[in-house]
Amino acid sequence: MAKLPPGLKEGDFQAALGEIRKVVGKDWLFTSEEDVALYRDFYSPMWGEDDERLASAALAPDSVEQVQAVVKIANQYSLPIYPISTGRNLTYGGSAPVYSGSIVMDLRRMNRILDVSTEDRSCLVEPGVSYFDLYRHLRQNKTRLWVDTADPGWGGLIGNALDHGVGYTGGDFRDHFDAHCGMEVVLGNGDLVRTGMGANPKAKSWQVYKYGIGPWVDGIFSQSNFGIVTKMGFWLMEEPEMGMRVTVTAARHEDIHKFLEIFKSLAYSQIIKSQMMLASPIMSQRGGTPDAELTRLRVAGAAASSQDWARYAESKKQPFWSATFCFYGPANIIAASWEHTKDRFSEIPGIKFEENETVRFPLTDEQAENVPAKARFGIPSLIAFGSRNASGVAASEGHLDFSPMLSPRGDEILALAAAAAKVYADFGLPMPAVGGAFYHRRGMIMFYTVPTYKNAEANRKSRALYERLLAVCAEGGWNLYRVHARYQAAAVGTYNFNNGALHRLHETLKDSIDPKGVLSAGRYGIMPKHLRGKNA
Amino acid sequence: MRTVFILAGFITILAPIASAQSERTAPAGWNRRWVAPMQGSPAQRGAALFNNWCGDCHGKDPKSAAGTRSLEFKYQGKVPSALEDRTDLTALLVKTIVRKGIATMPFYRKTELNDSDLDALAAYLVKK
Repeated sequence: MAKLPPGLKEGDFQAALGEIRKVVGKDWLFTSEEDVALYRDFYSPMWGEDDERLASAALAPDSVEQVQAVVKIANQYSLPIYPISTGRNLTYGGSAPVYSGSIVMDLRRMNRILDVSTEDRSCLVEPGVSYFDLYRHLRQNKTRLWVDTADPGWGGLIGNALDHGVGYTGGDFRDHFDAHCGMEVVLGNGDLVRTGMGANPKAKSWQVYKYGIGPWVDGIFSQSNFGIVTKMGFWLMEEPEMGMRVTVTAARHEDIHKFLEIFKSLAYSQIIKSQMMLASPIMSQRGGTPDAELTRLRVAGAAASSQDWARYAESKKQPFWSATFCFYGPANIIAASWEHTKDRFSEIPGIKFEENETVRFPLTDEQAENVPAKARFGIPSLIAFGSRNASGVAASEGHLDFSPMLSPRGDEILALAAAAAKVYADFGLPMPAVGGAFYHRRGMIMFYTVPTYKNAEANRKSRALYERLLAVCAEGGWNLYRVHARYQAAAVGTYNFNNGALHRLHETLKDSIDPKGVLSAGRYGIMPKHLRGKNA
Repeated sequence: MRTVFILAGFITILAPIASAQSERTAPAGWNRRWVAPMQGSPAQRGAALFNNWCGDCHGKDPKSAAGTRSLEFKYQGKVPSALEDRTDLTALLVKTIVRKGIATMPFYRKTELNDSDLDALAAYLVKK
């Protein structure tokens, strides 16, 4: 199964591996078929097919010095290296390389929490540190700071932030790249750089002020392949006195417009600071045989009237729209914010309010274990990773997240819902969920989950669905914010202003910072010069 | 509105395991906040490894443990849904699932659980 890196002679490959072995030690260079198989993408949409992306070997350094030494060897032998952090970016490619034959550099052993500052409310971590790791560290040390965790708690702070991952808590924290402050990077050419204030080794402000002086370059190391991030600082949210999760529901199809206008007013003026999850229970179908009337209305899009939807919704006994979000802070501030929020939404006829739960901090271990919606209260978990949610159904085997970003306007949400409905109807599938989330400060992500299997024929159908969604969303101007490895080049191709000028700039940076093109070939469509025009 | 009051006895706390090299004690069952020491007997190491790597999905409470809930649906009472309550697990089964994955549970790499860790984990889950 293990593949020789394309273009490399067997003798050079073995010589390079020999030198790498001396750097990381024999236990941390993996070349057997059995070991290398642990670097497959477990949710791959090409599982077992010829074009499944596979590693040729894997190595696991324990220090920045080892990372630098391996990058030096890679430059010497033109060896393609693919760094991963905790390797759990499942639904976006997992621990597998984008370019088959790459050697995966597994950074999981670099799992040191280098600093937690209660004064600055920040941390500095290595790439192998997971949300669970940091959470345990904070709990053990009775540090009243929160982790803003991604849905899977086994994810790594650095890897998730670099792939633009997101969480649930305050606006300064849940966009994980936005919440970072300072990084250390081994460049493709082997140089070691600290960004922001960290460029002055005497500075105590590395995790306080992002920009330093001169051009701010941190952004070029996200969703890219110019360097290996070996340290990264993050701002941490101070544990509040209280948190309250609430749900607001609206009864009519047309309420989406006013609802979002009021929500944005509250969010952009910092009354509501948490992530908000929006869904339409009426417009969504959870599996089963397609509901013909729902399909007809969804596909009709703007041609379906409010009255049509009202008739359809009448027997469903569910709200048309449902939005869940949180308040954090002192109890009296939460009470005032919630009252104000209810006042503002009350101009929508039939609006309803529900207080889901109130959590007072600090929590004992037992209390924390029983908090519902853990991620909303700074507690990592894996609750989203179940294989079954009912008896008598086949277990899930994985999925890809298809996640277009859009301006949170009612007409945009409904237009995307109609466009996606046409795709699902063409495939004979039940209507996908209409829902989205304010993970970021302003943009709204809509989610479609495309199932993957350990069966090639089933995966071919899933790939066809994903590719149709990608084409339809490109046409509608709904760009993906983050993409599975298989589709990164295709998605970058939709960002095509001025004949792909942005991608050309990315290539220019690649050639300058990683001139031998050894790092993460193909990541987000960026190929090294010597591989351009070839498929990943 | 539901205010979260948690009763002390709600979580099953099993008999503490005394570490051979540490004064620290910890519950044998899953504890999200326990940074498990990796010293001690194979069974103690196994308990620690289970806590660090498996417990969030395979803890006792199916409401908060996705793997336990999935197994509850799968077996429907024929065997316990929590792995720590099973008496029918073999070392081969534990190791195969950890290294090969199953359903949505991905395999674990040797940088997460090395072969020695896996031996200890299997010993912990099999020894009942």
